[in-house]
Amino acid sequence: MLKQFSFRKISAHLVLLFGAVFMVTPFIWSITTSLKPLENVFNTPPFQITFPLNFDAYITILGKINFGLFTMNTFKIAVLITVGQLITCSMAGYAFARIKFPGRDFLFILFLITMMVPATVTMIPNFILMSKFGWVNTHTGLIIPALASAFGTFLMRQFFLSFPSDLEDAAKLDGCNPFAFYWRILLPNSKPIMATLGVMTFQWVWNDFQWPLIMINSESKRTLQVGLSYLLNENYIDWPVLMAGSVVTILPVIILFFFAQKNFVESIKLSGLKG
Amino acid sequence: MVSNKLKKKYYWKDAIWGYLFILPSMLLVLTFVFIPVISSFGISLTQWNIFGSPEFLGFANYQKIFSNQLALFTYKNTFIFSFISIPITIFLSLLLSIALNQKIKGISFYRTSYYLPVISASVAVSLVFLWIFDTNYGLLNRTLSIFGIDPIGWLTNPKVALYSVILVSIWRGLGFNMIIFLAAIQDIPRYLYDAANIDGADKKQTFFNITLPLVSPAIFFTFITGIIGSFQSFDLIYSMTQGGPARATYLIGFLIWKEAFDYLHMGYGAALSFILFLIILVFTLIQWFFRKKWVYGEEV
Repeated sequence: MLKQFSFRKISAHLVLLFGAVFMVTPFIWSITTSLKPLENVFNTPPFQITFPLNFDAYITILGKINFGLFTMNTFKIAVLITVGQLITCSMAGYAFARIKFPGRDFLFILFLITMMVPATVTMIPNFILMSKFGWVNTHTGLIIPALASAFGTFLMRQFFLSFPSDLEDAAKLDGCNPFAFYWRILLPNSKPIMATLGVMTFQWVWNDFQWPLIMINSESKRTLQVGLSYLLNENYIDWPVLMAGSVVTILPVIILFFFAQKNFVESIKLSGLKG
Repeated sequence: MVSNKLKKKYYWKDAIWGYLFILPSMLLVLTFVFIPVISSFGISLTQWNIFGSPEFLGFANYQKIFSNQLALFTYKNTFIFSFISIPITIFLSLLLSIALNQKIKGISFYRTSYYLPVISASVAVSLVFLWIFDTNYGLLNRTLSIFGIDPIGWLTNPKVALYSVILVSIWRGLGFNMIIFLAAIQDIPRYLYDAANIDGADKKQTFFNITLPLVSPAIFFTFITGIIGSFQSFDLIYSMTQGGPARATYLIGFLIWKEAFDYLHMGYGAALSFILFLIILVFTLIQWFFRKKWVYGEEV
């Protein structure tokens, strides 16, 4: 029994615990700040919460500053992009993994190369393109360019490569064409990987900042992250309101995380695959 | 790559399905990635404020970059930022993943706490750190004052600000790297350790001769993604410092945005971003050509 408390395990715990405190403290500090009235923020101990809890900051966020609307906008965009990517990525991933056609490997490498192109490089031409299409300041301009993903395609392809070929042969014998196979057999059997890609895409869109910042200028179409950054442009800084805004934007992703923890971890591991 | 090399015969009916299946992705990627890369080079040869028509300049924008102090300083700053934050992030997350691999209790608690910063939106994180770094009432200076240390201008002192931003970026990156390293460590076959044990290798030898070499592909991968990430970092700078104080935290991702979308210097901004593209291309090519030599056990 004594061996359980070995030096190695204790030092591992110490390292991890120290790090965990470093990781979590900012969140706790933002929550405690958001629950205080502004005048108490400067003179009460940092982590002390006074009862009854003070929700003024949250009322300001959800009432005065259109956070409800921003949340709806972001949610709509995130859902549409996620659904779109699941369709395009699974289709292309299936073709690259299981269908033979001339030029397939060349096209696939072309796809892989695009993963290395930073968004910063494509941002200016894409903005000009959007203004030619008349999509500046529209949600269409946020959604359409994000509907495909080289990484997602790669992820789906890797998964489909390991799909048992017996099922495919049987389906072909039964006269299934590739679309019927994809739709009736492949997709229903790919729920875990679809969930992983879905969770990943949703979180990415939810947190995306620079493209919506450039594209959207009317308040009614603003996304959550952009709305949050606008809180800072006020003349004075109201820390409880800023912290409440941060908590409100982070919370949905954290809730998603608790329901889909496995998918999150899986998505990170899979993103390590491309190395 | 080719799943069945022997049967390289195409059935045209299948081939048409194949093209149909990749068509949506292909069209989107061509329109929004490939063509933009090429046209960003075209735009970089012009002077253009987006409203009028572009005026052809040749390579004048590039000449301007190499004689412009702010641009050169910003590239240098970006390199400093990357080459401090990335090695520290890699070292710390490697340490954490080794600790996490000791079959200890509470793994899911630790994993969750390290993971929270990764999934949190960068703008929200920036606001929280703005408050932590606040000179008068921020958590950091309040804590230091307990030990009698004078307030530090974390984001207001030009000598300190870049390091404060680096701290935040390390905080955000640890969890991602940790999970990748943990997966790599857990993938190492057990028998290698058993064999080392039989040969009488001690803990240190096992680490340097088995664990580290086999995790090195993952280290290399996180290094490259780290570089690409920090070369485009924008969100933290935009919402925490706006490049200040005294331009001490100008990073290339921020400068490109500033030139293109604040000053409407589309041509100049495109030139800056095309140079960024070339730098990242060089790093990627280095990875492709040399990973076999540098990294142990990588399969192509």
